[in-house]
Amino acid sequence: MSLWLLLVIPLVGGCLAWPADRVHAHLPRVISLVALVATLVVALPMLHGTSGWLADFSVPWIPAFGMSFHLGMDGMSWLLTVLTIVLGMFSIVVSWRENSEKIGFFHANLMWSIAGTIGVFLALDLFLFFYFWELMLVPMVFVIAIWGHENRRVAAIKFFLFTQGSGLLILIGILGLAFLHQRASGVLTFDYFALLGHEPGGVAGFLIMLGLFVAFVVKLAAFPVHVWLPVTHTQAPTAGSVILASILLKTGAYGLLRFVVPLFPLASQALAPVALWLGVASIFYGAVLAYGQNDFKRLIAYTSISHMGFVLIGVFAFNALAWQGVVFLLIAHGVSTGALFIIVGGLQQRLHTRDLSRMGGMWGDLPKLSSFGAFFVLAAMGLPGLGNFVGEFLILRGAFAVAPVVTIFAAVGLVPAALYSLIAIQRAFHGPVREARAVVDFGWRENAMMVLLAAAIVWLGVYPQPVLDVAAPSIAAMGVVP
Amino acid sequence: MSLAPPLLVLGVFVALLLGAVAVRRSAGLAAAVTGVGFLAALAAIFWAMPGGGGTFGVAGVTLGFWAVICGVGLLLCVMAAGYWRGAENLAGEEFFILLLVASLGACVLAGAKDFLFLFLGLETMTLAMIGMIAYPRGRPEAGEAGLKYLILSAMSSAFLLFGVGLLELATGSLGLADVLAAAKTPMVVAGLAMVGVATGFKLSVVPFHIWVPDVYAGAPAPSGAFLAVVPKLAVLAVILRAVGLPGAALGPGALHVVSVVAALSMLVGNLLALQQQNVKRILGFSSIAHLGYLLVAILAAGEVGRVAVVFYAVTYALTMVAAFGVLAVLSDAGAARDAETIADLRGLFWSRPGLAAVMTLALLSLAGMPPAIGFIAKMYIFAAGVHQELWWLVGTMIASSVIGLFYYLSIILAMAQRQGAAPAASGMQVLGRVVLGVVSLAVLGLGVAPEPLIALVKAMVG
Repeated sequence: MSLWLLLVIPLVGGCLAWPADRVHAHLPRVISLVALVATLVVALPMLHGTSGWLADFSVPWIPAFGMSFHLGMDGMSWLLTVLTIVLGMFSIVVSWRENSEKIGFFHANLMWSIAGTIGVFLALDLFLFFYFWELMLVPMVFVIAIWGHENRRVAAIKFFLFTQGSGLLILIGILGLAFLHQRASGVLTFDYFALLGHEPGGVAGFLIMLGLFVAFVVKLAAFPVHVWLPVTHTQAPTAGSVILASILLKTGAYGLLRFVVPLFPLASQALAPVALWLGVASIFYGAVLAYGQNDFKRLIAYTSISHMGFVLIGVFAFNALAWQGVVFLLIAHGVSTGALFIIVGGLQQRLHTRDLSRMGGMWGDLPKLSSFGAFFVLAAMGLPGLGNFVGEFLILRGAFAVAPVVTIFAAVGLVPAALYSLIAIQRAFHGPVREARAVVDFGWRENAMMVLLAAAIVWLGVYPQPVLDVAAPSIAAMGVVP
Repeated sequence: MSLAPPLLVLGVFVALLLGAVAVRRSAGLAAAVTGVGFLAALAAIFWAMPGGGGTFGVAGVTLGFWAVICGVGLLLCVMAAGYWRGAENLAGEEFFILLLVASLGACVLAGAKDFLFLFLGLETMTLAMIGMIAYPRGRPEAGEAGLKYLILSAMSSAFLLFGVGLLELATGSLGLADVLAAAKTPMVVAGLAMVGVATGFKLSVVPFHIWVPDVYAGAPAPSGAFLAVVPKLAVLAVILRAVGLPGAALGPGALHVVSVVAALSMLVGNLLALQQQNVKRILGFSSIAHLGYLLVAILAAGEVGRVAVVFYAVTYALTMVAAFGVLAVLSDAGAARDAETIADLRGLFWSRPGLAAVMTLALLSLAGMPPAIGFIAKMYIFAAGVHQELWWLVGTMIASSVIGLFYYLSIILAMAQRQGAAPAASGMQVLGRVVLGVVSLAVLGLGVAPEPLIALVKAMVG
């Protein structure tokens, strides 16, 4: 199958986009967009039937260590890959009119980061997975460090150190896992399927699982290892924030679902109580801190922490319903948060501030932006009828069967969510106009993006079944735990 | 050690070079003769490899290290030819003589089977290197660095000689194998410990690292690259052969000492680099840390460990040549100092994107990030460590790697800064760029597809 094309097209697109800005300022954008459309064209038809693995690609890579270039796609990978490509397109379009310097290098970095992320979602060799995990990081650091806002240096360093440091835990974990497997079976391999069902027991197995868990939770940015997230998301340029929040955070959840739970069913069960309470803590911590923010972008970043708390609870609820909810919430959150970052980016471009105390009464000046803003804030809050609600409901419903107390606390966490959402709408869009401003509302390009994302959220909210059907075989294969 | 053809070739070319310089003083001619000499030595080595024509009774590891040393010598020769062209008051021929002699010394050291040749090789290499370090006579720092290196080398040589004397007294032999196989009487242990101290100086591991930053910073960029790479390669070759000999297994006490040295090197190297503003100093401290990583691989004996050592050594050599090469291309040999501070690199992405990309690749490789080869190399050492369950050493390695990320990243970020881009330097060193192109292709290509190098190293070591 042509799975490798999903990696090669964005990589090559990035390489072509880099020098293209010497020809014309728009050429890198066009090249990137065309490359992503081509990737999407390759990816979409891979969904045929709804059973098991849709595509597989494997060639030897480093046979000395039993590492192969093994890519594979199932329903869950397909959903996340398509989400990555589509939001990648949005991130290209959103910065269409920003005349920043070195536009070619900017797009090259975006494309490489997207390629790395797709690789993460497709890799079925643990070492290859780690390779892509690292690969998606460096271009993102550049995006933040070069084109970020006023505090970009600190943000880039924090992002780099946290994700890279936790990445080393993954490396040790997978090496340990592979060598324990070698000791037991005599074969050195990093292949996902070969390692599946051979959970190393004892303290070593638990420590390896813990290392992977910590690394993925850092990426997911749940409490208490979320420290890098608010500053990074706030300082990144709009396109970077969209990719960070909508896609990169999802790789953490994907790692938990794809690797931690299936490879270490017993050890992760043992960790579940801690993980569930960490999820609850994230929900409340993110919500309370979001409530206190003056910076609109930072506020959204904190809501991400809150939502990823639900994801953590869903993963460690160990039942199919909650896992369905997790996959669903990942997609819905990707769409809604991506839209919110696009809106805040638009605000910053117009007002040159993200400070909520300088906003207020914008519904009069910017009716389109404000109405879309209010819509997506409500969607992120989990308003019934919109996408996020379905994901959160499924998670809570699934978790209630296993851990009712945790679920009750998590559900109570929806109350502060309503608080910060409403206060954000109130402060930004309603109330008296605090500063006179002469600004233009969303143009057709931004309106079109918003309408598409809003339609996606509504569709996810009222007719979630197709997405659930696509994800179902992957969930079923994760091993149904009673 | 018999007179192996690669050594013979290098020796002949030293003589040829001296003759050529005596007839006609020209830096270009000297560089050409030196380059051809390295090429001929490489050809002799490839001829001797498994599957080639003959063998010289030389271990595969030694051949491999000879090849790396001569390869690095060739790259540095080309780089230096570009570098010294910028200096008006310096001719440059002597530098090539010193380069060739130092490489010959390093090869003798790497192949030595007894302490006599070991010492001969070591001194030939060291004395030539002092000349290379202090070569730009207009730079006081270079003279100072040369003097520092002279004094500390003399000290380490004294340790080595004293140790060798004790060993000879106790065992009656100068052969490496005989000495290691002898019973570990107190005198033998004392002798080995002194040899170990001298080794520590050459590898610049903590606590024998004090000289590194000053000497690296003072030396002109091509000499710095040689200093950072070649002596360490030669000493590693000896160590790697020695650990394979009977009786070489370290006792628990010595094992602890080496473990502590490794851990301290990793931590101290990375921590001290944090505060530096001079890229050469940073590379110096970083080399201390990298030798700490290499010690982990040496401690993780066994086949994986030995392959890891060679693989990491090759990686380290390529990467250091790339990093120093960028500095060399940016620098003007006639100026009072090289372009070596972080401020000199500021905005490089905007003024000279190609050089900045090479430097970024080199720094990523040093930091152990994909797609550079350093990633695979670090994985190899982790794998060796995990294999032998050296948990706390692997843990220290992780912690110090994270610290290291910080200063590598800060150089990359400085290069990416939009403001205050340094004006593009005057010289267009075509030769230096050729070297950088070759090295960065290797760093990138072997980082994506390392299997050919792994197979080669396995064939050499196994």
